Amino acid sequence: MWKQFLSKLPRKSSKSDCASDSAHNHPGSNASSSGNSIQRTNSGNAGPGRSTSVKRMSSAVFPSSVVAGIEPLLSFKDVSNTEKQNLFISKLNLCSVVFDFSDPNKNSTEKDMKRQALLDLIDFVNSGTSRFTEPMISASCKMFAINLFRGFPPNYRSNSSCGGETEEEEPRFDPAWSHLQLVYELLLKFIASSSLDAKMGKKFMDHSFILRLLELFDSEDPRERDCLKTILHRIYGKFMVHRPFIRKAVSNIFYRFVFETDRHNGVAELLEVFGSVISGFALPLKEEHKIFLWRALIPLHKPKSVGVYLQQLTYCVTQFIEKEPKLASSVIRGLLKYWPVTNGQKEVMFLSELEEVLEATSVVEFQKCMAPLFRRIGFCVNSSHFQVAERALFLWNNDHVMSLVAQNRQAIMPLIFPALEKNSQSHWNQAVLNLTMNVRKMLSEMDEELFLACQRKFEEDEENRVAVEEKRKKAWERLEIAAAFQPMTGNTAVLVRPVMAPAIAATLT
Amino acid sequence: MAMIDEPLYPIAILIDELKNEDIQLRLNSIRRLSTIARALGEERTRKELIPFLSENNDDDDEVLLAMAEELGVFIPYVGGVEYANVLLPPLETLCTVEETFVRDKAVESLCRIGAQMKKNDLVDWFIPLVKRLAACEWFTGRVSSCGLFHIAYPSAPDQLKVELRSIYGQLCQDDMPTVRRAAASNLGKFAATVEQSYLKTEIMPIFDDLTQDDQDSVRLLAVESCAALGKLLAPLDCVAHILPVIVNFSRVLLDKSWRVRYMVANQLYELCEAVGPEPTRADLVPAYVRLLRDNEAEVRIAAAGKVTKFCRILNPQLPIQHILPCLKELSSDSSQHVRSALASVIMGMAPILGKDATIEQLLPIFLSLLKDEFPDVRLNIISKLDQINQVIGIDLLSQSLLPAIMELAEDRHWRVRLAIIEYIPLLASQLGVGFFDEKLGALCMQWLEDKVFSIRDAAANNLKHLAEEFGPEWAMQHIIPQVPDKISNPHYLYRMTILHAISLLAHVMGIDITCQKLLPVVIASSKDRVPNIKFNVAKVLQSLVPILDQSVVENMIRPCLVELSEDPDVDVRYFANQALQACDQVMVSS
Repeated sequence: MWKQFLSKLPRKSSKSDCASDSAHNHPGSNASSSGNSIQRTNSGNAGPGRSTSVKRMSSAVFPSSVVAGIEPLLSFKDVSNTEKQNLFISKLNLCSVVFDFSDPNKNSTEKDMKRQALLDLIDFVNSGTSRFTEPMISASCKMFAINLFRGFPPNYRSNSSCGGETEEEEPRFDPAWSHLQLVYELLLKFIASSSLDAKMGKKFMDHSFILRLLELFDSEDPRERDCLKTILHRIYGKFMVHRPFIRKAVSNIFYRFVFETDRHNGVAELLEVFGSVISGFALPLKEEHKIFLWRALIPLHKPKSVGVYLQQLTYCVTQFIEKEPKLASSVIRGLLKYWPVTNGQKEVMFLSELEEVLEATSVVEFQKCMAPLFRRIGFCVNSSHFQVAERALFLWNNDHVMSLVAQNRQAIMPLIFPALEKNSQSHWNQAVLNLTMNVRKMLSEMDEELFLACQRKFEEDEENRVAVEEKRKKAWERLEIAAAFQPMTGNTAVLVRPVMAPAIAATLT
Repeated sequence: MAMIDEPLYPIAILIDELKNEDIQLRLNSIRRLSTIARALGEERTRKELIPFLSENNDDDDEVLLAMAEELGVFIPYVGGVEYANVLLPPLETLCTVEETFVRDKAVESLCRIGAQMKKNDLVDWFIPLVKRLAACEWFTGRVSSCGLFHIAYPSAPDQLKVELRSIYGQLCQDDMPTVRRAAASNLGKFAATVEQSYLKTEIMPIFDDLTQDDQDSVRLLAVESCAALGKLLAPLDCVAHILPVIVNFSRVLLDKSWRVRYMVANQLYELCEAVGPEPTRADLVPAYVRLLRDNEAEVRIAAAGKVTKFCRILNPQLPIQHILPCLKELSSDSSQHVRSALASVIMGMAPILGKDATIEQLLPIFLSLLKDEFPDVRLNIISKLDQINQVIGIDLLSQSLLPAIMELAEDRHWRVRLAIIEYIPLLASQLGVGFFDEKLGALCMQWLEDKVFSIRDAAANNLKHLAEEFGPEWAMQHIIPQVPDKISNPHYLYRMTILHAISLLAHVMGIDITCQKLLPVVIASSKDRVPNIKFNVAKVLQSLVPILDQSVVENMIRPCLVELSEDPDVDVRYFANQALQACDQVMVSS
């Protein structure tokens, strides 16, 4: 059918067409189609050929009963109100042809035509006419599906002979963006339009539609993910019935990312949408939402790419704690579970998130997790990565944290003192040393008696350390010997035992 | 020792250690679980240790992983196979934790234990466990259960078998894609244990559903199991049930996901045997040709990589007619990775096609790949030279070969240079001494002075391999004369390379040449001004001690080492003393 349309176009570049035609059209018109002057002259005699061509294509897309039967290149202005609906569908059908953008020069005229049709559709939806009818919604969803739901190309492999050391990945831009962008814009306008009745729309924007839309979040193109973010937000807002499904489907994406693939491009965007979803949760929180926090959000701290989306993740997590302060201790325990041990950069990020969470933590919640927490902070203070040590020591600059520590100094000081002491004896970095001294001073001013007690305990422990080590070694040695004495089913050790026993006994005495 | 009288509480030691805040200590104690079990004896292990472990599984994932692994080999410590069931509860809990690695390991251990358990015990203990996991509320348990059915099923009585099959069917329709993926990837294993009659009636419908799943990740795994399923079915059933699915997947229009087609490309050759020759010719060859011409490079890579395996199954006419034209296209594919995949397998086509077709049709492809701008492509061709040599002899290629090798030998990426060095012994054996001396000999010496250590290291090893290939006399003529020149290189790192080469060559060249030609060079180097050279001399001498006559050791090596053992540098003294000890040991043992 494209050939038929093309035959009606003058052999000029379509851009210049637009310019010359706009003068011919109503002034200020923004719906000018590159071919509409020709359309008018042709609409009479090109009838039979045209209608068959439209029919042929339409029937492939949806049932022939709703065939539009109208020239898609017409402008909305040039048809009667009753015809507009048909023209809408006709233009959608035109846009349901997907072009190959790997070669920019291929089908450039057709591409421009589709572009123009998309712009027309956007204007039409924007103008907010009467309600969309079922055929209109159906045709729209078909068009969105055909254009948007595609498999992404594989990631470019890093050139193996270069050693593959290029860690930084440049974002990839989809070559078909000039069309995709408009389709996304239309989808957004379409969903947001008051002409779209949610009850009727949900029949076509169904679970499978949403699922495939969510799959697109893995796109490498940040522009596409940005569009999707806004659209998902709108869908979540408009289609109340789909909300539980969307939450479930997104959880599944997170599970797959965390527990299976470790790769997804759109986690930050999905979390951003969820940030506002969470802030909209009603109180008291449903059990389902808490499970989402524990089983999806907290494990999201594990993947190595956490830095890409940590900001959004922290926002979601703190939203939860603001809604329900009693969640704080379990969140902190979760952070401790996924605490990075070999990645300094990640550790610094975790410390920042921790501080934000602590800000919103009450004393009662704090007490539930302070022991393991400060043991971990102690390790961070001793980190040989100076940024980690610094960031950990900065926690004491936070008034809220400081007051939590002061109220629970009996428990915390014994945990943190050895770390400070070790730093002051042997940390290589001057800035860390200074900070350590400051914190030491703060603690000793807080409760000098306790401070001195900790110091004594530390010195004692240091003295005993070798002995404890020795004792452990002995205990295991004795265990090994005891084990050698025991018979074991199906093991030859049983046979050797009588011979070995006296020998070992001799060495022991 | 007074401590021997203290009562020993192995469990207490474990509990103590597991409470320690240092994860390394906790890990160590879990790693020594078997020691604790042996000390406890079988009965107390069953009654105290295992229950304790079942309750204490709130540790770091790393500790849990170690526990899951240890328990897999724990049967001897609980009293043998009769008591194996006591090991199931702790592993069952580990099957439900969040961390994938721990779960997988727990499943692996359960399979290992289940494979040894008696039939009755499986029915009493193992199968109920599988059912519990499959009914877990949280997906982790259900995922784990999928990997256990193939152990449970064969021992089940008929009634239970019905139930197990239906549970597996439910898992394949689980609400969570993660579970469906696990079910899909274990389908082949499970199907292998299911009776023929149920394969068609129950397993194939499951397979069909999975291949139509709305998640491409699930379809992908279903496709992966098609080869395994195909081999289980009779050829006719395979043609009826699996072939259409696969052939459909090979079409771009029907599955937009290139990953699925990629998987089909990887699996297709395995189906050929399962369906028999006629369906292969009628359906699989066209499907395969489609994949070789797929739009997506990744799919072409997979298809090209399997071309030899695929063609080996066919009657030789088919590849010549249908596949060869595709290969010609692929050899000038726009993706270097496609060409590289092709280059790595295309040599294998020569024996399949026979001499005439190879010379006529394949040779031009070889030659064009050998001139490819991308080094990996050329390397892949060179690495399989022996295969073509068997069919047509290397003469036809040698003219194009040499420039390719020369270029690779000087490639700016050291990994490429390394790869070509590693193929030199192969080339030497294929090309023969004459050709080698003329063209490549100089290169081999030149690499000893490369800027990159790995290259120099490989070059030294290469000399050893060449000496083995061509014999000591050849080495005397071509390698040894260049040594004095090289050892006087002003840069100590290059001198070190030569020392390394000498220590390797000495083991190949035999005592006489070593004593006359190599040893003096080493001894002379002990006077080097760089300590690193000196202690390497000590190391080389130490390695020579066992292969030389004792008189040589005493007269030449020992004095030199004694001198080095008084060197001002601590490392030189250390290694010299080590070597002297080695001399002493040889003395004692002889």
